[in-house]
Amino acid sequence: MGSTKFILGMRDQFFNELYKLFQEDPQAVFITADNGAPTLDQFARDFPDRFFNVGIAEQQLIGMACGMAFEGKKVYVYAIAPFVSLRCYEQVKLDVCAMNLPIVLIGVGAGYAYDIMGPSHHTVEDVSIMRALPNLKIYSMADGRSAGELAALVHHDRSPQYIRFDRAGLPEVYAERGIDIGEGLTQLRSGSDLCIVTSGVMVHQALTAADLLHQSAGLNVGVIDVFRLKPLNGEALKKHLHNVARVVTLEEHLLAGGLGSLVAEWMIDEDLRMPTMRIGQDDRFVFDYGGRKAIWEKYGLDVGAVVARIAGWMRGESGKVVKVPRLEAHGVPQGTAY
Amino acid sequence: MKTAPLTSTSHSKASEMEERLRRKAQWVRSTVLEMAVKAHSGHISTAYSQTELLVALYYGGLLRFDARNPKWNGRDRFILSKGQGGIGLYPILADLGYFPLSELENFAGVGNLLGVHAEWNIPGIEVITGSLGHGLPIATGMAEAALMNRDEHLIVCFLGDAELFEGSNWEAAIYAGHRGYRNLVCIVDRNGQGVLGPTDPTDRRLAADNPRLNPLDKKFKAFGFETREIDGHSFSEIFEALRDMRSSKRKKPLMIIANTRKGHGASLMEGKRLWHYRVPEGADLELTRRDISQM
Repeated sequence: MGSTKFILGMRDQFFNELYKLFQEDPQAVFITADNGAPTLDQFARDFPDRFFNVGIAEQQLIGMACGMAFEGKKVYVYAIAPFVSLRCYEQVKLDVCAMNLPIVLIGVGAGYAYDIMGPSHHTVEDVSIMRALPNLKIYSMADGRSAGELAALVHHDRSPQYIRFDRAGLPEVYAERGIDIGEGLTQLRSGSDLCIVTSGVMVHQALTAADLLHQSAGLNVGVIDVFRLKPLNGEALKKHLHNVARVVTLEEHLLAGGLGSLVAEWMIDEDLRMPTMRIGQDDRFVFDYGGRKAIWEKYGLDVGAVVARIAGWMRGESGKVVKVPRLEAHGVPQGTAY
Repeated sequence: MKTAPLTSTSHSKASEMEERLRRKAQWVRSTVLEMAVKAHSGHISTAYSQTELLVALYYGGLLRFDARNPKWNGRDRFILSKGQGGIGLYPILADLGYFPLSELENFAGVGNLLGVHAEWNIPGIEVITGSLGHGLPIATGMAEAALMNRDEHLIVCFLGDAELFEGSNWEAAIYAGHRGYRNLVCIVDRNGQGVLGPTDPTDRRLAADNPRLNPLDKKFKAFGFETREIDGHSFSEIFEALRDMRSSKRKKPLMIIANTRKGHGASLMEGKRLWHYRVPEGADLELTRRDISQM
């Protein structure tokens, strides 16, 4: 299996909506660190005095955005997700968040979207570190419809914001049902036995897992898409988890500091004592090739493994992360499994 | 306060101005010393290398600003990229009326406005710069936006030389040179000292010294800047170098390399790395007070 096939994705649906907002708002500017997209060409063509390429220079990307935001611009910056988050983290902390500027960080390729490109391009720790920045809102989108609707929301919000998009086009979740984008999360399916709280690409995995759990074990499984990770809409989440017996969090991200972590912290703060299991990536770097699905299968993130884990847990087995060998075929230490 | 540049005054008036600025620089150094002594903290020696440059900018009619209206849109954006130099800028801002002079008396104390590094919540300070290498990238964004907005103000970015080891400066320099920001004026306080050693070691075997920055002028020229090298403690050279800083004829960003001495004016500290973040006491303090009073 090769890399994930590229089709018009959520990023492009976002950019198409953003383009309309750029037509209306002369203060909107776009800075890229030499990263393109099929739908980005129209910005360079039609707004040449508001479109900038600083080259592969992410510190400059954020610093320049800061200077422009100070002077009244609404600034969008764009790069592959690890490079617009980790590479320039201190600039995001000080130049964007500490000064609370209207800058939108757009990262493409969340999780293992850049599957065969190795740990340099995997983005499975961005939620952990970006969560730690005061003032920053974080969005993690599951489909093109929601990404498109997000454009107007972030444009009219003066807060610092970070959006993590998938790389590939994902199936539509919201095309038929629509989305209340300001709500921050959506209960896509209700179910009293169990609720899977998830985000991004894993929303699709969760919906399939819910179906399979219903078919195979007769379980009523709910699914909640948390597309705004920060601030978490705790009130809505609490409402949706009312009368639900168990919670599973599912993410294509390190368990350390990701969605499961933030839900668990929220539960403790809210004094909610619910049986909860976190499914995500353990403490490791991934050097495996063969595509995103192969990574999921190896590390227990594919639908089959998720269903098996949940079914086992429901039967009273341990909810802890499945153990994998510490040493891989090439002798690469894979970190600690617990 | 919007004053005409010094160059438009007569020669005798220029001498009067220089004398006034000299006394002001002396007052700044003395105030910095007492602030640091009281707080038992503060980068005195780095404040002393930049004193004449800041005094010339703020009292010599070079910068456009309005202390009663710190966010006046016509102001020049002055970015103190070497944020540790904040202690040397605060007396000037207080003296000009940005905030009460009484704020200087409890530097870095409970409930005080002023801390060790320049923070954006202080009237007269534009951006947070405690971490080095942030000022120049931000300045390029301000320069670009000012051109878009057809604003006439300058962006003046004041850098430390040891700060230039941060790669972000060179990312910004590539972009500033490429865009040819004529509204961007950079000044490097070239005091030649980092924390552990000189910024231009003569012997590369001295492991604790910094790597070599020189030839700094050629480097910035190659990046697309117009460069001028001056004695950063000489008011006449500072004014000469910045005389035409608003000229629309210049098609490049301007880089002033101002050669200075860290701790200038305090015999105990000049060029001595020990004093990067040390506050004198006892006989050392008395000596420093005497040195400053005799400048």
